[in-house]
Amino acid sequence: MKLSLTRACCRSYTFPIFRKPSSVLPRAIFHQSLSSSSSSSLKPKTPLFLRPPKHSATFSDLKKWHDWANTLAYEVGSSFADSDNGPDSSILCRELKWLLEDSLEDNSLIPHLGIENNPNSVKLRIALDELYGLWKERIEKRKPFQYLVGCEHWRDLVLCVEEGVFIPRPETELIVDLVNEVVRDNEQLRNGIWVDLGTGSGAIAVGIGRILGSKGKVIAVDLNPLAATVAAFNAHRYGLQDVIEIQQGSWFETLKGFEGKLSGVLSNPPYIPSDDICGLQSEVGKHEPILALDGGLDGMDDLLHLCNGAASMLKPGGFFTFETNGEKQCKFLVDYLENDCSGSFCNVSIVSDFAGIQRFVTGFRRAL
Amino acid sequence: MSSFILKRSRNSSSFLFQNPSNKSATLNSSQPNNLIYSSQNHTVFHSGFSTFLLNNMKNPSSSYSTLSRRMHRNLKDMILASGFSVLSVRSPSGSNEVVVFPRGCGLFGTWAAVEPSTSDGLTVDGIVANNWAILDESESDWKSHAAAIAQSIQVIKRRLQWKKLKVRLNLLSAELNKPDLWDDPVHAGKISREHGSLMGKVKEVKAFEQELLEHIDMIKLAREENDTDLESESLQALLSMRRNSKERELEALLSGEQDPCSCYIEVQAGAGGTESMDWASMVMQMYKSWAQRRGYVVTLMDEMPGEIAGIKRATIKVDGEYAFGYAKAEVGAHRLVRISPFDSSKRRHTSFAAVAVIPMLGDGSTRVQINESDLRIERFRAGGAGGQHVNTTESAVRIVHIPTGVTATCQNERSQHQNKASAMAVLQSRLDQLEMARQAQMNAQHTQSLTEISWGNQIRTYVLHPYRMVKDLRTNYEVSDPDSVLEGDLDGFILSYLSASLDKDEDGQ
Ligand SMILES: C[S@@+](CC[C@H](N)C(=O)[O-])C[C@H]1O[C@@H](n2cnc3c(N)ncnc32)[C@H](O)[C@@H]1O
Repeated sequence: MKLSLTRACCRSYTFPIFRKPSSVLPRAIFHQSLSSSSSSSLKPKTPLFLRPPKHSATFSDLKKWHDWANTLAYEVGSSFADSDNGPDSSILCRELKWLLEDSLEDNSLIPHLGIENNPNSVKLRIALDELYGLWKERIEKRKPFQYLVGCEHWRDLVLCVEEGVFIPRPETELIVDLVNEVVRDNEQLRNGIWVDLGTGSGAIAVGIGRILGSKGKVIAVDLNPLAATVAAFNAHRYGLQDVIEIQQGSWFETLKGFEGKLSGVLSNPPYIPSDDICGLQSEVGKHEPILALDGGLDGMDDLLHLCNGAASMLKPGGFFTFETNGEKQCKFLVDYLENDCSGSFCNVSIVSDFAGIQRFVTGFRRAL
Repeated sequence: MSSFILKRSRNSSSFLFQNPSNKSATLNSSQPNNLIYSSQNHTVFHSGFSTFLLNNMKNPSSSYSTLSRRMHRNLKDMILASGFSVLSVRSPSGSNEVVVFPRGCGLFGTWAAVEPSTSDGLTVDGIVANNWAILDESESDWKSHAAAIAQSIQVIKRRLQWKKLKVRLNLLSAELNKPDLWDDPVHAGKISREHGSLMGKVKEVKAFEQELLEHIDMIKLAREENDTDLESESLQALLSMRRNSKERELEALLSGEQDPCSCYIEVQAGAGGTESMDWASMVMQMYKSWAQRRGYVVTLMDEMPGEIAGIKRATIKVDGEYAFGYAKAEVGAHRLVRISPFDSSKRRHTSFAAVAVIPMLGDGSTRVQINESDLRIERFRAGGAGGQHVNTTESAVRIVHIPTGVTATCQNERSQHQNKASAMAVLQSRLDQLEMARQAQMNAQHTQSLTEISWGNQIRTYVLHPYRMVKDLRTNYEVSDPDSVLEGDLDGFILSYLSASLDKDEDGQ
């Protein structure tokens, strides 16, 4: 299942997931529908906080590990931040606290860690030597914290993630708010069919699956089979297996037959320009799947493909939101949507994220 | 200070039993014709006639065995002699119940005009005025017990601001009796809640008072009739009242409307760089430990660390009953004197940290309505391109309420969405507090925000060098072991302040 690689990258990391397929090649040669409940050959890893507490350690051994881990975190200082905008000590210390929270069966014990020579032992969801290994990977290999614990807190959800699947970003949370605003007083859209293209861990799909009406449905698509499996797991965990259908395939390819029928098209597609990939923060560049990041020469390959698709797939009055790399892409897309899509869209606008960066382009399919 | 016992033990988990369980039936206008407010087990009159007496009348052989049948026989006469009326009514269950009510009382829960007294006219104030010697508890002297209890009752009344309470209660009753009250259900709900809660407090004190007087009557009666059993029973009852009264004095310290709320505690470092930032973090640690000892749940909401050590500012949430009631005593500037570990030439430094405390109002209270469009929400410490470029677990947001300029930040949650929700809760409380201050419904000194706390409003000094001492400048309460205080043993300071600030208010009586 290796896809050919056409864009060279300036560093020679071996990326955990396959490289970006060229946009001139047929986008996907396969697609299959994954029912969220059907077992697939890929099994998602159980995140730390859901594992049974079958390990134990004495207070003092755990404290020893914690002190060691803290020291490593402090030694980092601002060196990661200075080199590639990575985490500084204070962020790492907070992650350490969360790692402990996810590992311990009983969180109320955390304040007692400071007590010297406590002879009692505590129940853990992971063996102590594995904890040493995990934190080493965090500091030395810059492995993302979310891959250590196997989950990411996103909105009010706890989504499972694992290596090979993109970790949802805080910015993307806003897409759910944007959809909420639109469906709040639009019964038709609320009960229609929505698609989340490039669903990754299923973040957007699960987020909106919970705000749609009783007849509303979400089709969540990803080219990466592992992402599709993880998304199915997350949908199931939130009891949305009947609301969200997971499909493995490329963008609109599996959606034949839905032309002009979709109430909403949402996507956070890969949008980083290929040339920027090698300069990325280590947590991202060395560990997250490049298929999720690389948007082609100017980062717009997939976004433009999605705009064209939205024009034919959305029903009149249907809503779309795409996440972008920032102001430049937003402006380009607005211009493209208004001028090059033969009047298909209306109310096209740009929405900024909380950092004030123009992040999303939204709009509606014009009524015929 | 002598009026209560300060335990300075390490784990003084509870010296107050804060359970203002509503021992009385609630009054509300949906039952305006009820002359008698009764619940299954307690029947209490707004005159404050004691509960146990009535229970005993209904059920003479009940568990309250210290009262003899004899007493029951005599009760009716006594009651009649002391200005109450007795009626026999048929209860819903069909049995006959004796019901007592003060003569000439009004329809609604207003203040009863009758000053309760013993059959020979002795009142609580009268007992205090007699200046009977207060001997040790172990001395079986009824006058000493009575004098101690009467004194406690005066302290309790003062702490509850008895006179103001009376005025407020009459005002609320008048309001409640208005026929158009329920046209505005929100207002009506607020009024009747407040009335119910004040009435509950009044009734409790009055019942206690009445109980004292009855025991005195009982003792006199026992002596007349040479009934030594009855006399010793009554003496025993007085003793247990005396013990109980200390607890009630403490309870009365926390009778403010917001006292039962959870709260936020904020600490900000004063000028002076790293040394004062270190001090601010010590103060914050002191409150975290204090709150944990008290069994409160502590959550760090927001923290701005200093460059080298300590914090510039931090906010914690303290969840639990009466968190605000206690913590409000800590509002002001805290001063530290020590040899700074950050000073290579080992000089003595003085630094300050300011503390603000904000109540988290319950759902029943009026909250400020926040318009989404009045808010500006910012990513805190954002940098770079964001989005797919960055993987960070740092998702703090700051919310600015544009019309007032009030801001709130939260960075402790694991998602931006939750940080935003928590920051909104802080913002709501800040705006509520601002509004309360505006309405001046609250003791102004407890509503100051951090920015308003003048560094001159110094409340306490912590000296680590050249000698060791912590001293409260408001009460002169002092402790010679700063370590225990910094480890959260603050109860002595808090209680002495609370009692001093209420007890000095002499108009209470
Ligand atoms: C930036 S990630 C977004 C994931 C998720 N929606 C989120 O916001 O967390 C982009 C996703 O698009 C998927 N993707 C990339 N190319 C695709 C294609 N041709 N068809 C479908 N999905 C694709 C990637 O596997 C990845 O999961």
